[in-house]
Amino acid sequence: MDTAVLSIEGVSKSFGGIHAITNVTFEVRAGEVLGLMGPNGAGKTTLLNLIAGVYRPDSGRILFEGRDITRYPPHKTCHLGIARTFQIPQPFTDLLVRDNLMVAAKYGNKRGDTLALDEILDLVDLLKQKDTIAGDLATVSLKRLELARALASNPALILLDEVAAGSTEAELPRILDITRQVRKMGKTIILVEHVMKVMVEAVDRIIVIDKGEKIAEGTPGEVMENEKVLAAYFG
Amino acid sequence: MEVTLAGLAAPLIKGILLGGLYVVIALGLSLVFGVMKLINVGHGDLVILGSYLAWAIMGWLGIDPFLSLVIGLPLFFFLGFFVQKFIINRTFRVSLDAALIACFGISIIVQSLCQAIWTPFNRSLATDYRLLTFAVGPVTIPLRYLLDFIGGLGVMIALREFLRRTYLGKAISAASQNEPVAERMGINPNRVYSFAFAIAMACAAVAGVLQGLTFSFHPTAGPPFLIISFGVIILGGLGSMLGTFIGGIIFGLTQTLGAYFSEGSMLVQTIAPYLLVFVILAVRPQGIFGR
Amino acid sequence: MKIPRLTTLASIAVLVVLALFPVIGIPLNWLNYLFTFFIYLALANMWNLLAGYTGLICLCPHAFVGLAGYTLAIGTWVGVPFQAGLIAGAGVAALFALIISYPVFRMKGIYFAIGTLILPEVLKAWFNFWRPVGNEYQGMGAGYSVKGVAGVTLGDTYWLALAIAAVSIFVVYIILRSKLGLGLKSIRDNENTAASSGVNIFRLKLSSFIIAASVMGLAGAAYFIFSPRIQPSGGFSISWLLLPLMATVIGGEGSEEGPIIGAAVVTFLRFLLADYGAWSLFIQGIILVVVVVALPQGIAGLLRHVGVYRFPQKLFQAAEDKIHKT
Repeated sequence: MDTAVLSIEGVSKSFGGIHAITNVTFEVRAGEVLGLMGPNGAGKTTLLNLIAGVYRPDSGRILFEGRDITRYPPHKTCHLGIARTFQIPQPFTDLLVRDNLMVAAKYGNKRGDTLALDEILDLVDLLKQKDTIAGDLATVSLKRLELARALASNPALILLDEVAAGSTEAELPRILDITRQVRKMGKTIILVEHVMKVMVEAVDRIIVIDKGEKIAEGTPGEVMENEKVLAAYFG
Repeated sequence: MEVTLAGLAAPLIKGILLGGLYVVIALGLSLVFGVMKLINVGHGDLVILGSYLAWAIMGWLGIDPFLSLVIGLPLFFFLGFFVQKFIINRTFRVSLDAALIACFGISIIVQSLCQAIWTPFNRSLATDYRLLTFAVGPVTIPLRYLLDFIGGLGVMIALREFLRRTYLGKAISAASQNEPVAERMGINPNRVYSFAFAIAMACAAVAGVLQGLTFSFHPTAGPPFLIISFGVIILGGLGSMLGTFIGGIIFGLTQTLGAYFSEGSMLVQTIAPYLLVFVILAVRPQGIFGR
Repeated sequence: MKIPRLTTLASIAVLVVLALFPVIGIPLNWLNYLFTFFIYLALANMWNLLAGYTGLICLCPHAFVGLAGYTLAIGTWVGVPFQAGLIAGAGVAALFALIISYPVFRMKGIYFAIGTLILPEVLKAWFNFWRPVGNEYQGMGAGYSVKGVAGVTLGDTYWLALAIAAVSIFVVYIILRSKLGLGLKSIRDNENTAASSGVNIFRLKLSSFIIAASVMGLAGAAYFIFSPRIQPSGGFSISWLLLPLMATVIGGEGSEEGPIIGAAVVTFLRFLLADYGAWSLFIQGIILVVVVVALPQGIAGLLRHVGVYRFPQKLFQAAEDKIHKT
């Protein structure tokens, strides 16, 4: 079923004189894993912020499950079912790990039953640190906490911002596995990733952004051979 | 009441000149804020303390308040240095909120000190020239307002040259723009803070003299000046001296024009600047020139 | 029947004992001290709720106190008995908090602090000139006496203040253990993360703000029943900011017992220094600065650090285990 769960239509955003995103249009289909690729500074995180509601587009529309969420603030998009992780983890450093999830579960989930937080923690291998203060966790664990917190609000769409960054070669399979499991839960994922191995193996389709514009769209194979993409990365 | 161009001339000119006073007060606040990201909520009270000090020295030595700055300026400078070094710098280790609370404590200390020593009654710096006026065309302007303007311009230029040309000044500028980089260049931030606060206090001493000549004062006259000078630096945009100058003038005009249009209502005169600050904070905190 | 926790029993016992004080012949000046302590405690608890738990350094408690006091006073001039005026005062304070929340919550950090500082200054100036009821312009602006409180004894006001203090403790207790408390902690920790996790920051801050304003209004109005004269300089005095701020800082911000300890210290200082006029405020200012530099976590923080709590905690735990086994 190719229903579009998220629809970005002609979205643009500028900061001062800088055009961060220019006229970007694409769709995300239900249940798919969509990769978002592009050189540094291309505007990937800005795009995620626009979807999540942290920024408001200057023009264009964003539709989620048929609803126009263009002007929705972050807490409202969360209520509707969009969760996001931050590129640099932003946990509640003074709260316990389980309270980090509890906030999302109690405040973010307006769509159904609360999930079993223990199961989520188990999925990201943080069950043992349930009662640790988040600020005391190792930096690598914080990335997993980000994901756990996103899952705790019972989202339909998850925006993952570089969830594999900083991980060692050995850890990548586990990350891929977690991504697959999240997908099996029926969730749709937008994945921003620089680690190519994860990008290529986890996603169904890729959208490539460069200097704020969409320059390519397609399967990993198609995109990797696209001339514009190669030019953007390698000059 | 009939609003005439001739009638407007007086409050317009007075407002612009009065703005100089607010510029001097705001510059001290702005310096500290720019370098340390701290609003010294006791700044207004320190200006009033400056007025009281000038008054005391005047009474003690019989000299003109501007001359009293020979004593007052260095005194305030050292006072500021010590306050920053031994109190505020230490609170920075805890949090910025702690520093704010410390400044509030200083505000209370200064207010109560003035009250204890000099009683709650109104004072003013009664010099011979205080009540002199001069004419600009058909309009009569009090001389002390002109002194405010000259003072404002003078302090602003002096401060600007200091920040541009002296080593210490450049260090302070650097620290207020980018502290980590400044630190890596060998500038000790705490030392810079101490000097910045000391200079701000020196400005407060000058402001105290000007203020005491312009208005009468009492121990709790500080907070209004704090609020107004905060409004000045926000309105003009942080980090811009020209902006601060323009902000000061706007606030001066707010008072004089407010008095004019309300036909002397004390209520309007008192409240108008407050409301202006409040509206700026709520609606456009980046000021006129900010993005 | 479920045996309630020992700490709950202990708290109720303390409450009952305190309530009996006027009846069992405790000297009047002690009732006076305790009355003041209860008022300060209520204010401190609310200031701590805002600053310590919601992250709002609110510099306008004197706006809430003054407004409630004036509502009470003016009410008694138009036929509203002081009992109703008390509640009305709290209501007006809460309404004021609601109205200003829209502009004021747009301000962040220090801008919020200064923005809230402006409000009581405006109110003070306004009430200096506004005289809605009664005649003659008495002395310094609109001073009013509170009518109809001649029959109110010290014991009555004592019980009123005790009830308000108990309410303030109860409110903080409930909030901290509720969903609202979790939300507030998340906001204090990281606003961006909280928002992206579904927390409606404005609404939570507003809830906290209105609750604090109401209880501060109650405490303020109660004070003016006890001392039934209000003028702008007294009703909107910066002391109403200094007191809860000092109590919270000395006692320990962000802790439940901090305001209690702090309020006790501040009350003690007030009465100790009462004869020294302006120097009293001077010394209090110095103490505030010293504490914030040398003891930033407050006395509660010091006690926790030193481990003073561990002994009574173990004692209570052992006693509880024993009770629950039998």
